[in-house]
Amino acid sequence: MADRAFSYRQGELIAEEFRRHGVEYLFIGKSGAIFHGFPDTTQDADLFPEKSPENGRRIAAALRHLGFPVDARLESDLVAGKDFVQLRTGPFDLDLVFAPDGIETYGEARSRALMIDGRFPVASLDDIIRSKRATNRAKDRETLPRLEAFAAYLRSRPSGRDPSPQEPGQRP
Amino acid sequence: MKIEEERPPIDPEWLRDFEASLRRSLRDRLDYSFIHTYKPVLDDAPYRTFETMEEYRRWCRENLPAWLGYG
Repeated sequence: MADRAFSYRQGELIAEEFRRHGVEYLFIGKSGAIFHGFPDTTQDADLFPEKSPENGRRIAAALRHLGFPVDARLESDLVAGKDFVQLRTGPFDLDLVFAPDGIETYGEARSRALMIDGRFPVASLDDIIRSKRATNRAKDRETLPRLEAFAAYLRSRPSGRDPSPQEPGQRP
Repeated sequence: MKIEEERPPIDPEWLRDFEASLRRSLRDRLDYSFIHTYKPVLDDAPYRTFETMEEYRRWCRENLPAWLGYG
């Protein structure tokens, strides 16, 4: 069986196809925290797309180009604006979280997000923490103390975040 | 709202992990942080959609094994 683990290359493919199709989205969840430098492991990538019919149509088109089998029902659900879509067939697993707990609106999260490595729009670490606190599943409760310590560590650095030159803190 | 709270000093082992992580490239962090394992029930449908997050949480509580941590 092919390795279905998410990788940097797959992140690049998402970034390329979503940009080409004009999709509004942010990486979020533990996968988003890993973009910020959080040292941990996870199983799949979580995206927080803007919920709108047009963005739903763009997501469906981008997913097809990425190799996800998007049938008529799935496209209809993406356009209609479901809160949560879980994809398990395709080149890798992907969760689309259109209404993450603890975050009021996509626009607010986007205004606080960072563009990491010049191409990956990622929710702020504070928003990722806020969302995990609100979700409060066993796996979130297990991650939060270390994630909060990591956020405190980043704040204690002179730049307030990873200053590596390949990761300018641009706004998306 | 900024998340600023009084916190105890960071565990020295965590601190070493954080520093080491930021020394790694983004490519390395992504290539080594994602581990795919089969998750029963969760991975047994090509896709699922949920009208609301509450519906999704209820489905997780009622259908997934507790040890997956989604409860």
